[in-house]
Amino acid sequence: MTAMRAASDRGAPAERAQAAAAAGPGRGEIRCSGLYKWYGQTAVLSGLDLTVANGEFVCVVGPSGCGKTTLLRMMAGLAEYDHGTITIGGEKVTAPLAQVAVVFQHFGLFPWKTVYNNVALPLRAAGLDKAEVRRRVAEAIALVGLEGVDDRYPAQLSGGMKQRVGLARTLALRPEVILLDEPFAAVDAQTREILQEELLGLWSRHRQTALFITHSIDEAITLADRVVVMGTKPGRVVDDIVVPIPRPRTVGSVRRHESYAPLRERIWEQLRASGSPT
Amino acid sequence: MSLTRNDPPVAGVADGARTASASLAASDAEAIGREVIAARRRRSKRDRRKFLAVRLVSLAVVFGAWQLYGMHTIAILFAPITTVVHSGYNLFAHAQLGSQLGYSMWTFAIGYLIGVAVGIAVGMLMGAYRVVEAAVSLYVFALYATPMVALVPIMTLWIGFDATAQIVIIALFVTWPMIVTVFHGVRQIDAELMEVSRSLRLNRRQTWVHVLLPGAVPFVITGATQGVAMGLVGVIIAELQTQLTGLGAALQTEAQTYHTAGALAVVLLIMVLGVTLRAILGLVQRFLVPWMRLDRGDGKRR
Repeated sequence: MTAMRAASDRGAPAERAQAAAAAGPGRGEIRCSGLYKWYGQTAVLSGLDLTVANGEFVCVVGPSGCGKTTLLRMMAGLAEYDHGTITIGGEKVTAPLAQVAVVFQHFGLFPWKTVYNNVALPLRAAGLDKAEVRRRVAEAIALVGLEGVDDRYPAQLSGGMKQRVGLARTLALRPEVILLDEPFAAVDAQTREILQEELLGLWSRHRQTALFITHSIDEAITLADRVVVMGTKPGRVVDDIVVPIPRPRTVGSVRRHESYAPLRERIWEQLRASGSPT
Repeated sequence: MSLTRNDPPVAGVADGARTASASLAASDAEAIGREVIAARRRRSKRDRRKFLAVRLVSLAVVFGAWQLYGMHTIAILFAPITTVVHSGYNLFAHAQLGSQLGYSMWTFAIGYLIGVAVGIAVGMLMGAYRVVEAAVSLYVFALYATPMVALVPIMTLWIGFDATAQIVIIALFVTWPMIVTVFHGVRQIDAELMEVSRSLRLNRRQTWVHVLLPGAVPFVITGATQGVAMGLVGVIIAELQTQLTGLGAALQTEAQTYHTAGALAVVLLIMVLGVTLRAILGLVQRFLVPWMRLDRGDGKRR
């Protein structure tokens, strides 16, 4: 864990832009246009347009039932959409794509596999050779500070540690795009803030495109380059706000920043206007 | 803890608390940790001893009552436990109870394994594929709800009275509850885990090997444990209803010749058999499903 802190998110904006350019034009770009989804008679999403640039960290906040989780599942290739298109890196999403990885709300770990084997499973499934799997798993486990517990089963871990395993599994896949579905909703408040800072540190290493669903306005401001506010009935984008707080960030530095309070107020107002926030 | 006069009390308390916890040297903390673990271990040992004692007392009371009642009743109707055990010994030593037990165990083993294997296969396919469920669940649930005893006469018509017929009957007793348990188990495997498998781009074979099969193991063991009881019912019914063999024959012979003690000895033997087989399956479970008996945080306990 200390190793992770040390690797805290460094890098000036100029370097960041350079890195993004080096990664190629939009390998991790997510583009949703004119998305519709109905459940029976109800429109869950109605003509949603959303673009996440390559290397950008976007948080989506919105009241329950606004379709934000549905949106993520569509991007992940886990749910179908009725109309419109989603492309990631120019490729149309119809099934889970290789360059996309998901961090699940309830961790999504296999209880019968040890920490090591949970992280290794998708790498083995993808046909990587043994040495490469071992190297990548060890690296990912070290990154999230889980050395020494890699032979434990998920039942032996706390919620925070379980989600570290979830993150390790995602990082080991070396995705261009990380989709996170309320990943820290099931852990306690303090662990949550610790995990937020760790995520910032991990993300800053490779600047993958990140789409992070959350209920928490604070979490969204802390993590995101841009906060997208969704409204309900039907689900749509009601606001799209750039967070001007410089990186590297910590939970504390974000709270102290002058734009924090007005941002929080603005998002809160949007949520209140668009439906009961939960 | 002493408060500095000028400090606000709350801050003082907080500081004091911090100092108190910081003043625990690492070695002290370790010693306390060891002490706590040792105390917990002593407590669980005490609990185990207590429950063992309760169990022994319970056994003494039940067998004592059996003994007393047996000694004061007509021998044709009931017998004291000592007589029952003695009769059992005699049946082993001077009659064929040993070989009869062997025969019954042999048919049970084959029938049980067939029943379990069919149960796993059909249950898993039904659970994993809606098409299979749609095609066969109607018959499975109809037969599950049918007392298998009703099929025994038909089986004898179709197959006859030999060991094959007995094995088929035993398998029939085992397989329906096995199918139903495994089916529900596979269905219960977290929908999220199936979604995770898709997201991790596991192919069909990998999903079976890494998700469906290991996920079904606890349910297979539950089904197999229920199957022991069902299979033993099947053995006795098969042996009484087809040709008299094995433990069924021993039971029938003893009861019809008014050797109540002998009949009770056979019943006792069947009970012991059931308990032993269940205990074995319990061990299998501990071996096959290690992740289920691990408590959070306290490491491996093997």
